[in-house]
Amino acid sequence: MIQLFHVTKSYDKSFAALKDVSLKIAKGEITFITGPSGAGKSTLLKIIFGSESPTEGQIIIEGRNYFRIPPREITNLRRRIGFVFQEFKLLPNKTVYENVALSLKIMGVGAREERERVLKMLTYLKIIHRANFKTISLSGGEQQRVAIARALVKDPAIILADEPTGNLDPEMSIETMELFKEVNSRGTTVVVATHDKGLIDRYARRAIHLEAGRVVC
Amino acid sequence: MLTGVRTNLSYLIFDALRTIRENPASAIFTAVTLGFSLAILAFFFIIFVNLNMAASGLADRVHMVVYVKDGFASYGPDKIKKDALGVLGVRSAEYVSKEAALKELKDSLKGRESVLDAVDINPLPASVEIKVLDAYMEPMLFGAVVDGVRRLQWAEEVQYSGKWLKKFSAFLKFTEVLAAVIGVFLTAAVVFVVTNTIRLTIYAKKDEIEVMRLVGAGRAFIMLPFVIEGVLHGLAGGVVSIGMLSVGMYAVSANVPAQMSFVIAMPATVPVISAALLSAGLIMGGISSVISLIRFLK
Ligand SMILES: Nc1ncnc2c1ncn2[C@@H]1O[C@H](COP(=O)(O)OP(=O)(O)OP(=O)(O)O)[C@@H](O)[C@H]1O
Ligand SMILES: [Mg+2]
Repeated sequence: MIQLFHVTKSYDKSFAALKDVSLKIAKGEITFITGPSGAGKSTLLKIIFGSESPTEGQIIIEGRNYFRIPPREITNLRRRIGFVFQEFKLLPNKTVYENVALSLKIMGVGAREERERVLKMLTYLKIIHRANFKTISLSGGEQQRVAIARALVKDPAIILADEPTGNLDPEMSIETMELFKEVNSRGTTVVVATHDKGLIDRYARRAIHLEAGRVVC
Repeated sequence: MLTGVRTNLSYLIFDALRTIRENPASAIFTAVTLGFSLAILAFFFIIFVNLNMAASGLADRVHMVVYVKDGFASYGPDKIKKDALGVLGVRSAEYVSKEAALKELKDSLKGRESVLDAVDINPLPASVEIKVLDAYMEPMLFGAVVDGVRRLQWAEEVQYSGKWLKKFSAFLKFTEVLAAVIGVFLTAAVVFVVTNTIRLTIYAKKDEIEVMRLVGAGRAFIMLPFVIEGVLHGLAGGVVSIGMLSVGMYAVSANVPAQMSFVIAMPATVPVISAALLSAGLIMGGISSVISLIRFLK
């Protein structure tokens, strides 16, 4: 469960990217965050992830208040959240396989299990033929799929996906959403930020609409 | 904290090796700089050891002679020697009997022994030649030793050379201070060089570190490859310094005549020196990378 209470985020004093945002996302839900460019979608996801801290307000993730948990526990919490970054944030000089395996290595998953899970995920996302390529040499869509694979491979409790289909063709977008749906049906909470109308119409059970940093429902 | 580190140690080592392979020029530069610094440190240490040996030679010249009162000749050399050795600060005591003293005198008069023919009783007293421990080669402590000796029952008169003592003690102080100052400077220079190189590597990988943190990597997981890299730089530097030192020592000994080769004293055997250089490099490399990482990750 994710809860925000009166969250405001200002990157600098004159301007707030999020203004007094309160919301509640139940465990096991698929939720869309929608809104025009610059509305604050990425900021909202980063605040839920804990990589940006709110200027005001409180966040509770799985019953824990971010203000109260020590940095080491934030690291632990991150291991249970899969984040698909809008700008991918892959390691450019490492291979596709290594990028995806990193999430598992960090958690201390054994070599054999790691291999099995990574290859399965790469197959799912149709990127297996690039497994040994450095990610810097991949196309935007391919990189996006690696980013998705890295977030999903660790079976996270929560998936935060920031424009996960922004670089994918319509067919691949649908397949990715199907994958999220499947993961969701196994109990994972999924939050997708997007301004792709087609996806929203087709998949949104619930959408939180942001407009200039405010929730408008 | 250590999650993922234990299961992936070989991966993390491999990662460090890859960084070095990706930028060999920087790795070579670090190793050579580190090697130079370590070699200078080692050269300096050898010079210091040799100075100290020379100083010990000097110390042998600073000795005192205690003349034995005539009535105590019956005490026996062993008892007298034991008494002298019992004084705090005495390293060795050599008993010179009346007869030995006379013989010495005769030897020094070679060819003119006849001067002594007229003397039929031996006028020379027995004496004890005393050498003092290096630690007491300092005017005040030396004075305490002299007092101790003077207080012995059989002691008649104590003679020693105060001028030598002053020179020697000043020299010893000078080399010690010099050693401390240069040692500290060189060590600081080595740590500075490695810290700087590691810092450059860390900055070059700033984005990568950020990604690792975002994916949930703990401190140990992020730090280990850099520490391993620092240690490897240190080891390479150790190897370079061993090479430089061998060349340097060869050049020195080639220019010293064979019969004088005892002039250069090595502080330890070659394997011991090599091992010391390697471990010095290893430790400095490791410490330097930890220093720069802690600063960066704060
Ligand atoms: N690191 C930052 N420093 C300063 N301003 C920022 C920063 N990140 C975002 N902003 C500003 O905050 C506002 C919201 O940005 P955000 O990235 O959350 O929008 P978004 O809804 O994700 O947009 P898009 O659909 O284009 O990705 C924007 O006006 C942006 O310029
Ligand atoms: Mg965004």
